[in-house]
Amino acid sequence: MEQPVHLQRLRDIIAILIVALFMFPIAWWALTSIKPMSAMFNKDKVVVFDFEPTSVNYRVVMLGQSRSEIAIESGSTFGVGGSSSYDSRRTILDSLLIAIGSTTLTTLIAMLASYALSRMSFRGRDSYLNWVLGQRFMPPIAIIVPLVTMYKTVGMRDTDNLYLGYVGLILMHALINLPIAILLMKSFFDDVPKDVDEAAMIDGATRWQTFGKVVMPMVRGGMAATAVLCFIFSWTEFLLSLFLTTTIRTVPVKITTFVTSTGSEWGFISALGTAAIVPGFIFILLVQKHLVRGLTLGSLKE
Amino acid sequence: MVVQASNRQETRKPFALPRFLTAEHPFPWLLPATAMMVIFGIYPLVYAIWLSLHKRNVVTRANVFDPAYNWFKVLHDERVWNALGNTLIYTVIALIIQLVLGLLIALLLDSDRKGYSILRALMTLPLVVPPAVTAMMFLLMLDGSFGVLSRSLYALNLLSPAKPILANSSTALAGVLLADIWQWTPFMVLIMMAGLRSLPKEPFEAAAIDGATAIQAFFRLTLPLMSRVIAIAVLIRGIDLFRIFDYVKVMTDSGPGTATETLTSYSGRIYFTGEFTYASTIALLTLIIVIVVSTIFMKLFRVKL
Repeated sequence: MEQPVHLQRLRDIIAILIVALFMFPIAWWALTSIKPMSAMFNKDKVVVFDFEPTSVNYRVVMLGQSRSEIAIESGSTFGVGGSSSYDSRRTILDSLLIAIGSTTLTTLIAMLASYALSRMSFRGRDSYLNWVLGQRFMPPIAIIVPLVTMYKTVGMRDTDNLYLGYVGLILMHALINLPIAILLMKSFFDDVPKDVDEAAMIDGATRWQTFGKVVMPMVRGGMAATAVLCFIFSWTEFLLSLFLTTTIRTVPVKITTFVTSTGSEWGFISALGTAAIVPGFIFILLVQKHLVRGLTLGSLKE
Repeated sequence: MVVQASNRQETRKPFALPRFLTAEHPFPWLLPATAMMVIFGIYPLVYAIWLSLHKRNVVTRANVFDPAYNWFKVLHDERVWNALGNTLIYTVIALIIQLVLGLLIALLLDSDRKGYSILRALMTLPLVVPPAVTAMMFLLMLDGSFGVLSRSLYALNLLSPAKPILANSSTALAGVLLADIWQWTPFMVLIMMAGLRSLPKEPFEAAAIDGATAIQAFFRLTLPLMSRVIAIAVLIRGIDLFRIFDYVKVMTDSGPGTATETLTSYSGRIYFTGEFTYASTIALLTLIIVIVVSTIFMKLFRVKL
């Protein structure tokens, strides 16, 4: 479809404008994180660029400095009081640990299940797949009450035992990612012709060898994409982390605690928010190719 | 459960592993996944159903078996109907806007010209922002006194400073929707783009020869050929929208009053009052509606994921 030059120009401009509109909140957010208080809360006008950038917010959130320390250092008065509750270093480590732990677990379990679902034919295979799909759409809130009770009974809440608390949340994040991982990996296994397996087995390879040494290397890219998506979903998960844990705080939960009845710390919120979206941005650019497949649980391929 | 069904037919050789434990049988492959989903998914769900059959005394914290109590209460609770209404309005409006915008933006960005691949990559970025962070972002931008969006709307006389968007019960839901639309329109864009890419070329060439306009081609060819893709996108997005929790919880906490209360956020609110069995009942009601509606949708439009 060849379009006249001026129409093409118009299309370019509209396309750039629309994308810019969608980028605006992120840009505004990043800008807010380096604004001083006076620019953030200016009664007269909206301050866009005319301010002195400051690293105070990042120093408090990412380095754990207290506000009074910074005030003494810079010689300016910048509010008083401790800032221990804004120090988010542990939160970021918690989030990373849980995301990495649950991704590893999901990937390993889903790898086995999806291989069988792709390669073996057995009675009830379709119903099993439907059942997995159903799990993906279960509202997590439906299982929260029993889960909390269950964890309480076996002493797996983070208030009972911190380490078991991590295990508990990792297991839940792994569970909510499991259906996506299984269906997605199955679609990658389906891309490899079955003849490959048969040829390997005729040559004397066992099932395990066929799986580990022949088929797995062929779907490496798909496995990586699945793992990346699981990481992102765990990193962004909110509801389960909110209800299941009290001392372990993941980033999305921690950030909402910065809104208090006495006022919201927009500087700290935007600093932690900016830090929270960076890993996602890096990862999503890595898996662009498989993104559609991932978001549609393997049912649409690009 | 499926696996067990197929186990029965196996015959065993003496002194060898039973066949269902060998790598040739799906059982060992599916065991970890099945165990995980049963222990942490099915068991809590069954437990939730069991809980919903109990009346909980918040003070004494005792659960008394009373199968009809919660389910009767749920049907006669006006807040449930209000929450259901909000959830439906939210789901339908968000779905329509995201679908239409997604399709238009996909058509706009579907070009091989230089630079468009960068625009397409940028367009996916909102998807990885944690929803709770998105909610905070829009909370900041919609802040009644200092929010940049609020101030722009005031300047355009579309909104009055006396009635901030999130604090006013008639506009609060729209404020929450804004965050959802920003975050999830890119999802639709991506899927529609994949759909457009997979369209066959021949019908369009034939239509061009027959003198069809671009608009005719869009409505007569593009849309019908994309129907499966659109149905899948609507199904996945629709179910996720119906379970909406993060934006409501963070941006308005169901308020002002119950103006933005959805089924899941109402269930969460009840949970924090300690009436766990009733919270479970509302959550189960959400699940039942999701199952019924999505099953009808899948049958009606013959979609299979």
